[in-house]
Amino acid sequence: MIFLAKAALGLGGTLVLAGAYTFHEGVIRVDVDEFREGGSHVHFWAPAAVVPMAFRLIPKQHMQHVSEQARQFAPVAHTFVRELKKFPDFELVDVRDANEHVQIRTHDGKLQIDVVDSNENVHLLVPLAVLDDISSQLEANLPGA
Amino acid sequence: MSSARQSFIGRVALIAATAIVLSPIGALAQTANDKTSSSAATTSTKADRWLHVRVISTDGKGETVRVNVPLELAERVLPAVNHDRLHNGKVKIECAHMDDVDLHALVDAIRSSKDGEYVTVQSSDNDVRVAKQGGYLLVHVLDHGYRGKHGIKDKDEAAEKSAVGKSNEKNEVEVKVPMKVIDALFSAGKDELDLVAALHALSAAGDTELVSVKDRDNTVRVWLDSKNVTD
Repeated sequence: MIFLAKAALGLGGTLVLAGAYTFHEGVIRVDVDEFREGGSHVHFWAPAAVVPMAFRLIPKQHMQHVSEQARQFAPVAHTFVRELKKFPDFELVDVRDANEHVQIRTHDGKLQIDVVDSNENVHLLVPLAVLDDISSQLEANLPGA
Repeated sequence: MSSARQSFIGRVALIAATAIVLSPIGALAQTANDKTSSSAATTSTKADRWLHVRVISTDGKGETVRVNVPLELAERVLPAVNHDRLHNGKVKIECAHMDDVDLHALVDAIRSSKDGEYVTVQSSDNDVRVAKQGGYLLVHVLDHGYRGKHGIKDKDEAAEKSAVGKSNEKNEVEVKVPMKVIDALFSAGKDELDLVAALHALSAAGDTELVSVKDRDNTVRVWLDSKNVTD
């Protein structure tokens, strides 16, 4: 019995630590629904902490290539995201017509992009901290950085 | 160790393990509450200045575009953009188009002048008015639409437009810019406009409507206030 209890305690503790680490940056959520025959329906939830970890697993030369491609917008994105974090929730862009509604806003420390269209619905929710991490990684891996 | 005691310790350990496993739910909930309260605090304590753009199209599609940008964010992001003529928050002006006009001298002249109406043009096509008033540079353009624009030659067309109710549609543009913003804009150098300095000066200005455009199909408004939402 005592052995079982110790094992449960160890397992529980490990799960808690792993869970706390995995979800400490929140969750990335992607929902895509295409309203056509054979259209795709993607509903994807992933712990945000996975992204920076995945970046560290990408071979350096590939990472440098991606950074080079993003050379122009990476510093802008980094500054933009870093500054976005300082503001309360707000609606950045809202475009609406008879068939389409596009909304970009910040909500609870996340960037939320919603596209509601007669052909498809796309909802994207990404923690700003993750975007900050990604843009920092891109900047850091620029050749000569 | 007695079996009763062993059993008791075992149960305590199991309960502790369960409590630990369930604890993140409470912690997450608490974190969310903290975030909400800190967000609300930010809203109430910060006096950020916001630039709003609203475009309402009255054509068949009924398109509406709303953009809200904190001036501070724009001020920080602009220097990071290095593209084409925009570098470090300054945009290069095409010199070829400026040969005949010394913009800096013009701005200096307007700055040192008293309030008044500088340009007034009234024609059958347009009315244009440029004035300085209360620390603002005002530009007002009124396009008379079909009234005289097409003249005698387009009389039939004008009659046709009139028949569909478009004869009296005028296009109107109003621009109101604080003089301090114009000063800041031209503070960089001869062939440059300092956008960051202009934004900084704009953030010190009071709530104001900067641009208003009304035409047959669209209404455009650009204004400045302390709210993070459009009305």
